[in-house]
Amino acid sequence: MNADPADAAPFHWTAEHEEFRGVVRKLIEARAPLACAPSPQSQDPRERELWRTWTDELGLPGMVIPEEHGGSGFSRLELAIAAEELGRAVVGGPLFASAVLATEALLAAGGDVAAEVLPALAEGTKVAALAVTEGTRRWQPDDVATTASGSTRLTGTKESVLSAAGAGLLVVAAREDAGVSLFLAEPGDGVEVTPLEVLDASRPMARITLRDAPARRLSEAGQGWAAVERALQAGTVFLAAEQVGGSRALLDAAVGHAKTRVQFGQPIGRFQGVKHRLADMAARTELASAAAAWAAWQRPGSDAAGLGAAIAGAYCSEAYLETALDAIQVHGGMAITWEHHAHRFLRRARADAAVLRAPREHRRQLESIIGTGA
Amino acid sequence: MPIDLSAVAAAGDLDALATRVRGWLDEHLPAPWRQAALGGDQQALDRILADQVMARAWYAELGESGLATPGWPAEYGGLGLAADAAAVITDELTRLRADRPADEFIGLALAGPTIIEWGSGEQKERFLRPLALGQHRWCQLFSEPGAGSDLASLRTRAVKDGDHWVVNGQKVWSSYSDRADFGLLMARTDPSQPKHRGISYFLLDMHAPGVEVRPLRQLNGHSEFGEVFFTDVVVPDADRLGPEGLGWSVAISTLMQERSGLSGRPGVGPGQADALAARARRTGAWDDPVLRDRIMQAFVTERALQMATVRAFATLGKAEPGAEGSIRKLTHAQLEVTLGLLATEAEPGDAIAWDPPDEDAAAAVDAFLSGKILSIAGGTSEIQRNIIGERVLGLPRDRDPYANTPFEERPND
Repeated sequence: MNADPADAAPFHWTAEHEEFRGVVRKLIEARAPLACAPSPQSQDPRERELWRTWTDELGLPGMVIPEEHGGSGFSRLELAIAAEELGRAVVGGPLFASAVLATEALLAAGGDVAAEVLPALAEGTKVAALAVTEGTRRWQPDDVATTASGSTRLTGTKESVLSAAGAGLLVVAAREDAGVSLFLAEPGDGVEVTPLEVLDASRPMARITLRDAPARRLSEAGQGWAAVERALQAGTVFLAAEQVGGSRALLDAAVGHAKTRVQFGQPIGRFQGVKHRLADMAARTELASAAAAWAAWQRPGSDAAGLGAAIAGAYCSEAYLETALDAIQVHGGMAITWEHHAHRFLRRARADAAVLRAPREHRRQLESIIGTGA
Repeated sequence: MPIDLSAVAAAGDLDALATRVRGWLDEHLPAPWRQAALGGDQQALDRILADQVMARAWYAELGESGLATPGWPAEYGGLGLAADAAAVITDELTRLRADRPADEFIGLALAGPTIIEWGSGEQKERFLRPLALGQHRWCQLFSEPGAGSDLASLRTRAVKDGDHWVVNGQKVWSSYSDRADFGLLMARTDPSQPKHRGISYFLLDMHAPGVEVRPLRQLNGHSEFGEVFFTDVVVPDADRLGPEGLGWSVAISTLMQERSGLSGRPGVGPGQADALAARARRTGAWDDPVLRDRIMQAFVTERALQMATVRAFATLGKAEPGAEGSIRKLTHAQLEVTLGLLATEAEPGDAIAWDPPDEDAAAAVDAFLSGKILSIAGGTSEIQRNIIGERVLGLPRDRDPYANTPFEERPND
């Protein structure tokens, strides 16, 4: 597979890419129940077994980690292929928080401390969480109030941290005189993790209360936010692919239903009221999939990568939500029951559109680009 | 002289191709033209485009270079490039407003590819090179007063008489028919067959006796399309495109090209939303966060559509576009409505009264009034949704009670 997506023009997938997609899809179809949460600490043995599939068979946790740190040195593009397939089955667990958000932040921060922990993340023997947001739950540097005293002790409250419970490593944004820095902390003395009630149970969140918690600084003082932005960009690209996978699965199921469900003596998919809704779902999904893939093909850190991630973050999030709502309409009465798959997708679609930057926050970011010729 | 792309095209490097084409254009496009396009000076550009000498000389040079028809085979004046490489060239031309004028779209985007796919050697020789060089204008003679969305119910008749056909009937909504040299004509040649099977496709000489064009005025005040009447028009059988009775299949090729070609810019970069934002910044309307977010929503959709178009062309290679083009056409049509509304909402006062020299206001009103045209032209949005539902998603077809009835036995509608 291609280690640097920018080496080729977008959308020129290789045979290796297609093969990888096929392998991931087959494994998920065979082994991953809808909305499962594969994790090394799960109570459910099937979910622990699936985590081993991620680590031993697919190498997902170490996918974007360079080989010198124990990973396989692929790019966001390859991980996006997996994300789309995972999204089809609303698969959750700590993979996103650990292998994307925390890992990308550690890679962007660099330094000895990151180098020390990356091999364990690549192996999947440990998982990490990225603790940035606080009371506003917005990804903004000014909203970071957690303090680092003497650069070794953290105090503050991190809100809505994805996959924090069970994480062996915490990448924490905290404020110093020089600005926001990233620190590495571990569960233990001075660290309290309180699970929250969540919309999407497959991706739990928690509050982390830090009281003089011991930590090590990851990069130069005041340089942490650039690493957070890098993680946000990678996370947005991953989620966009996941949103496309979810949208496609919903579209496929709704089309299947419309072909077989008979009312008024004919399959409901013949009625334009249903057919045209499905056509709109397909159109939205087509654009979302192009935007997600275009973003994944750009060289990380480039202007095009920033544009691509923001476009995908805005478009794919809303497309998935609308498609999840439309899918319920097509499936009718069954889709408003707990047993039906529709609400798993609806929950994930809502969560995906809020867990990093919201669509309108992406649009606000794009305001600085529009009309400048980019 | 065709442009030499051997160094870049073989490598398949689209960035290198764009650089090469940009360099060629810098060298060949008249300097005032380039400056007006890059500076966004619409008045200067209008003067240049109206300058018959400069414009004609440029279009001739562009035609000779092959850049106007990059996807066509080299033997017919093209460069033999795959769809994504051709799109890169079109995008470079569009950036400099140096592409062939809008009234040549039908010839270049519809007639050319359909003739390449279905034409005899003789027809290719006769029509393609003049098209590439900008010598012929074409129009599409498909829709009729009684055959809009139900195009296959067309009634224009062509009756065989020895080695020629005699055509009688009427077409409507034919863009640029008043200035066309040739028309892509669908006519019924066998009414004893069900409606899709009795149609043949002709390359009609618009200057032939019996062809009468009456321009129509559109809702935006422009006059681009017209009605075309045929009274005993003689068409040689040699001008039939594709087999007799298979005109519907030939027309599907044309329609797929049309939908794919109506999806906007085939590259990722500044579009209509950008222009809207630039004007809102000039007038101060940009300070309104509600307007700003609505412009940004259109911006996001426009860029996503561009990305979908780039992907479609990247995966197409040298194949013909398929039903998925309906997705991009549908989305583009919806976007045009949104952009037209936003153009007039940015400065609501300017949308109802303006000083004659205010070109921004006039353009906004034009965008508003023209907004719905694409939702109808090239197949309505309802027809596009049917195509997406039936051809892309495989849903059951709409019922047509007379689909298999001989055309002449259908009840009169």
